[in-house]
Amino acid sequence: MAVKTIKVDYLARVEGEGAFTVEVRNGQVRRAELRIFEPPRFFEAFLRGRAYSEAPDITARICGICPVAYQMSAVHAMEAAFGVTVDGPLRALRRLLYCGEWIESHVLHIYMLHAPDFLGYQGAVDMARDHGDVVRRGLRLKKAGNQIMELLGGREIHPINVRVRGFYRTPRKRELLALTDELNWARDAALETLRWVSGFDFPDRARDYEFVALRHADEYPFNEGRIVSSRGLDIPAAEYERHFEEIHVAHSTALHSRKVAGGSYLVGPLARYNLNFDLLSPLARQAAQEAGLGSKVTNPYRSIQVRAVEVIQACDEALRLIGEYEEPERPFVPVEPRAALGCAATEAPRGMIYHRYRIEADGTIAEAKIVPPTSQNQPSIEQDLKEYVGGWLDLPDAELRHRCEQTIRNYDPCISCSVHFLRLDIDRG
Amino acid sequence: MHEASLMRGLMARIDEAAAAQHARRVVGATVWLGALSHFSPQHFAEHFAQASAGTLAEGARLEVTLSEDIGHANAGDVLLESIEVAE
Repeated sequence: MAVKTIKVDYLARVEGEGAFTVEVRNGQVRRAELRIFEPPRFFEAFLRGRAYSEAPDITARICGICPVAYQMSAVHAMEAAFGVTVDGPLRALRRLLYCGEWIESHVLHIYMLHAPDFLGYQGAVDMARDHGDVVRRGLRLKKAGNQIMELLGGREIHPINVRVRGFYRTPRKRELLALTDELNWARDAALETLRWVSGFDFPDRARDYEFVALRHADEYPFNEGRIVSSRGLDIPAAEYERHFEEIHVAHSTALHSRKVAGGSYLVGPLARYNLNFDLLSPLARQAAQEAGLGSKVTNPYRSIQVRAVEVIQACDEALRLIGEYEEPERPFVPVEPRAALGCAATEAPRGMIYHRYRIEADGTIAEAKIVPPTSQNQPSIEQDLKEYVGGWLDLPDAELRHRCEQTIRNYDPCISCSVHFLRLDIDRG
Repeated sequence: MHEASLMRGLMARIDEAAAAQHARRVVGATVWLGALSHFSPQHFAEHFAQASAGTLAEGARLEVTLSEDIGHANAGDVLLESIEVAE
């Protein structure tokens, strides 16, 4: 068999996945629509007919940036269905895994996607030419989160060590302690990150959002809590679908969520922060105050600061959890599947996720429903764009597109990394 | 999906280059990963194995270089440098 080497030199790039259409008449924005081209991926259908035990590995594949939130939401929903509670060291390890995901995801967004917008760069590569040390700090900080994911999840991306009822393997205390030095560095770097982004120039905007997030009695929320809102909602996850619904819209392949009673709402760091400021660690709370943030933040552009506060929170919490960790006797708790319905909501870095499963007596998944953060935030993103773009209509298209991309990235949506390639169509009449 | 989008384009290019050579199989590929591409070699290999299943490149040996240069002009990209084809 003759083998020949062919030189190719092909550069693989991400194609744009979003477009924003603005219709202007008589100087007023009449229509503003954000379209997502990403085809539906049918994860809910994939899950039907599979064993309940497969859900963590399948749902982890929904996202490469926040796989933990998807798989852990599935795990909590199954456990709610089977009537089992996981506590003690196993529960602490779950919180630690969330810390890893929040660190790597928030840092990726702050340093690689959003900061270049504020500083006038096309992206992180351009920014690295002038701010190499800053980008290196971001990469090392992100890696600190990835190291937690790798130890607890078995690998950095799409963890494979999570199961319903616990883990396949739990770490030794000494393995966790080995992360301590780097996490101490990461916590300091997170404080530096907040100081750095607080020096950016923030557009003077505010909106009267209805914030929706989890709230736990005594913890900044990751994977447990009641669903609360800034307008008085306070419900268990099992009642989510009585208050929120998904709808199809003609202009997007992504579903939109809204309140059943009507109106949009916002999930994500701003919502968590506004509804849980008192539950931040003393260090994170003090850092937020020193950065000029009060207990309420309604300017969406300041979400980059709130993300930085949450990175401090995650580093601080990770160090606390590691310090208090005691090796569990077993990596998981026993449970028998049963025919039941289970719901859960957890906090992905970019906002609350809701899962519902109907399980048959033998543990087969009969029905699955998954509501990601981006579908919940998409109406708010459109409303922001519609409201703000009216003041930018005199700008050249390139500058207008940049402002729109920056605004979209306030929400760290699942298409965030591709909106550098946002297609902007303006019909000025 | 970021990775899947990258792999779709890359596999299409491999197919195109192999077809131009009337190759029966693609037995190897040499790839350069930018420092900011968000791929690790292992992560890339997993995606490649999945994307190449059922194609001429199924089972191809991968040679992957991970760059550490964040200032490189293509630091955010993935470069398919060459392929080895069996005729």
